[in-house]
Amino acid sequence: MSEPKNDSLQIFGSLVAGFAQACVNLNIVAGQRAGRLLSNYEFGAWYPYERLRELERTVIDSYTSSEPILERVGIEMMKAWYTFGPGKEFIKRGEDFLHFQTGSLGYASVVKGPPEQVGLFVLEHIDSAAGRARIHSTTPFDKHLERGVLIGGMSAPGDLDFVDVVYDHTTQRYLVEYH
Amino acid sequence: MTLEELLALHAPPAEATLSHQELVRFFWKYKGMVKERERANAYWSTTNDNLKHAYERLDEKEQELARANAIMQDDLQVGSQIQQALMPRDSSALGPGFEVGVYHRQMTEVGGDYYDYFRVKDGSPATGVFDISGHGVSAALVMAWLKSQLAQAMGHSDSPAEILSQVNDVSYEFLREVKKYATVNFVIFGDGTLRYVCGGGFGLLLSGAEHTSFDKSQHFLGLRKKPYVEHSLPFKTGDLLALYTDGMVEAQDPEGRDYTVRRVNALIEQHRERPVQEIVDACVADYQAFRGRDSDDITLMVLRKVG
Repeated sequence: MSEPKNDSLQIFGSLVAGFAQACVNLNIVAGQRAGRLLSNYEFGAWYPYERLRELERTVIDSYTSSEPILERVGIEMMKAWYTFGPGKEFIKRGEDFLHFQTGSLGYASVVKGPPEQVGLFVLEHIDSAAGRARIHSTTPFDKHLERGVLIGGMSAPGDLDFVDVVYDHTTQRYLVEYH
Repeated sequence: MTLEELLALHAPPAEATLSHQELVRFFWKYKGMVKERERANAYWSTTNDNLKHAYERLDEKEQELARANAIMQDDLQVGSQIQQALMPRDSSALGPGFEVGVYHRQMTEVGGDYYDYFRVKDGSPATGVFDISGHGVSAALVMAWLKSQLAQAMGHSDSPAEILSQVNDVSYEFLREVKKYATVNFVIFGDGTLRYVCGGGFGLLLSGAEHTSFDKSQHFLGLRKKPYVEHSLPFKTGDLLALYTDGMVEAQDPEGRDYTVRRVNALIEQHRERPVQEIVDACVADYQAFRGRDSDDITLMVLRKVG
């Protein structure tokens, strides 16, 4: 994960709150800490990106191997977004999520700041018939979390039998396979 | 047959065919389930590891807590020994003219009730029963402070009002700062009389047919900075004086009824002809049969003038 270079990188409250809610749903944070965590964020506000990093660190510091947990947090976030949030208005099929997330209402709408820090999240290639896609991602997000977001978002509508997402750190590309 | 129809069966049919399209769906559904299972395994394996580490940390914290608790218990034990050393061993300071019985029980290792026997400036015997707010170490520290201040003040006066006013003057700021206060019940015995100052404590004098309860309207130590007013009563040979704190009278039975001052005083009167320790023991036995649970420190002192 690339580090933000300064404080000007900002993240939308719905994403931070979604992360926090997912942590509570998965019992990563429980009890009084959960109540405090959930009351910390407003959906419509903007926060320094560092706030999300703090939440990520909460998970990373709590587990000896945090990768599967961050991935599950990403899946849980998108499950809640689709089931209880506005997800159904934007996507009808799993494949739609690839277009949504790489479009103006997706990643670009929840992160703002200097372009070199915001990074890219671009659908470079898609072959619907073969069920394959490639996404160029230079976002500052943890790649396990982002992988979970893609898996969760594509699986949420329920029309796909198979979804797999692999990130290649060398090329900074996600290879997506779905059927 | 479709994939859904096939999977809805309880057992594989003897003969069935799937179209290529359904076979493809079956293939990906199976692969998808395997993939999902891999993710779930990784997630639960990590969660399980985390739980194991959490239990290990919990064990460590439990051991730390046990060690800290042992240190606290040791400190409390020492505090209790110090407090016991500050309490009078016997009533010899009063001299031979008194028969004295006492019951003193603290809720915790160290408590807030304090009683003592003194000699004031002119050599007159005196006694005091004090109830410091709260319990525990903080109350015990205040008790030690009061004992030292009383000792100093008694070297300068033989008036209960003057002695307590001086103690209150020098203690007022300190007690305010530590958010403590104390009830007072202080008596100096003279020739055929007693003089007392009472604020919040309980006193009963039985003299012949006369029953006199102490006027307890004076202020508590540490609550108001103003002089005390003392009262004087006859105190002849054979008269009985009882001093006690609120721990006994405010105790409640399992139904929530108060023990009451009236009940204590009636018991003292009922047993007034017996030796003073037997009077105390009778009161305590009655109280223990009554109360649901102990909720405060208790001090009950009964004195008889014998000569």
